[in-house]
Amino acid sequence: MIQFAAVNKYYGDFHVLKDINLKIEKGEVVVVIGPSGSGKSTMLRCINRLESITDGKLTINNTEVNDKKTDINQLRRNIGMVFQHFNLYPHKTVLENITIAPIMVLKQTKEEAEKTAMYFLEKVGIPDKANSYPSQLSGGQQQRVAIARGLAMKPDIMLFDEPTSALDPEMIGEVLDVMKALAKEGMTMVVVTHEMGFAKEVADRIIFMDHGQILEQAKPAEFYANPKEERARLFLSRILNH
Amino acid sequence: MIDLSILINNLDTYLEGFKNTVLSSIIALIGSFILGVIIAIFRISPLKPLNWIGTAYVEFIRNIPLLIITFFFFIGLPALGLTLSGFVAGTIALAIYTASFIAEAIRAGIQSVPKGQMEAARSSGLTYLQTMTKIILPQAIKIVIPPIGNQFINLVKNSSILGIVAGLDLMYFGDIVSSTTFVTFDVYIFVALFYLVLTIPLSLGVGYLEKRLARNH
Repeated sequence: MIQFAAVNKYYGDFHVLKDINLKIEKGEVVVVIGPSGSGKSTMLRCINRLESITDGKLTINNTEVNDKKTDINQLRRNIGMVFQHFNLYPHKTVLENITIAPIMVLKQTKEEAEKTAMYFLEKVGIPDKANSYPSQLSGGQQQRVAIARGLAMKPDIMLFDEPTSALDPEMIGEVLDVMKALAKEGMTMVVVTHEMGFAKEVADRIIFMDHGQILEQAKPAEFYANPKEERARLFLSRILNH
Repeated sequence: MIDLSILINNLDTYLEGFKNTVLSSIIALIGSFILGVIIAIFRISPLKPLNWIGTAYVEFIRNIPLLIITFFFFIGLPALGLTLSGFVAGTIALAIYTASFIAEAIRAGIQSVPKGQMEAARSSGLTYLQTMTKIILPQAIKIVIPPIGNQFINLVKNSSILGIVAGLDLMYFGDIVSSTTFVTFDVYIFVALFYLVLTIPLSLGVGYLEKRLARNH
């Protein structure tokens, strides 16, 4: 479904992504971990072309993401994205936040879009907040709205860029629960996170990155029990033993 | 004491000037706003040539005295074969000059909307134009209103530049009243009061808008 083939990316002289080769199948839940600055978020953001790649080939369902002929807006419809800082539209209500793209991009009627929005708000557990503004919600609630906003486009893929990093500890659980449910339903998910519990429980595959490279790919049980790479071992010992 | 009879005896002259100041200000206000929006769009455009034009406009115009721009239209253009009245030359200069400040205010407002807003909207499939009109500009407008309001107040005051090029505005007729009555201080006090009649409501209006927009999320 998503395929990186020898992908490189530079910011000027800085080599952010080094020879990335990665294939993600439909329905797979892939969790990307690694120290900060390792290129995880950049790699994720290449998938919907929030970042462009310097060379190599990146395809989604056999469509080349960086091809000039690719209609990027068409491609992005099928890829939901959840950000670290939620990025809800502060001047719009929760309902409007969720319905704007379905109405403007998918040309749904307002009624249709609102029905779908309510369905997903129920799903993330906050239908009562439909008419609130983002500023009236807690961080955890805002992030759940952001997930509902992504799902309302009925995407094939959901990208999560450190979705719990900006949350107070007591709100992390509610967001992870929504993500776990989504994973169990068979959504294709790429998740950049530091939540090891989540990774262990729902990931089909863990990807460990450092200095712009994918150093290790393994099933969670395997990865946590016996990381092959020295740097992965070091990283794990740092975040697990405290 | 200020001599009220000066105002009463010359009321028609004052009002003629007041009318032209209002007219010039309104025309320049609309003109500078439209031009300012266009220049601001140039400045944030991803297209390099537009970018350069926008930057050049702002940097040139903003850093030249308004008086010189006015002289260009009033004295410079006739030398090239195009004669404009003082009113027209002054109003055009005012619009062109103020547009550079308005463009900067709008650009700053748009750029102060967090980058994540653009990213969230674009990643949901909205086009650049849809994102601008539905997500970015509605948020930028709240940030932009106070500085633009200040520019409009400045514009009304700067319209007194018309007095120098025989633009038939308040300042011009103030000079006339002064030279016919041989009174200076009192005459200009009334001129100042007429300006305040325009600028204080403008100022209050901007404050009101600011509060109202702050209340809406």
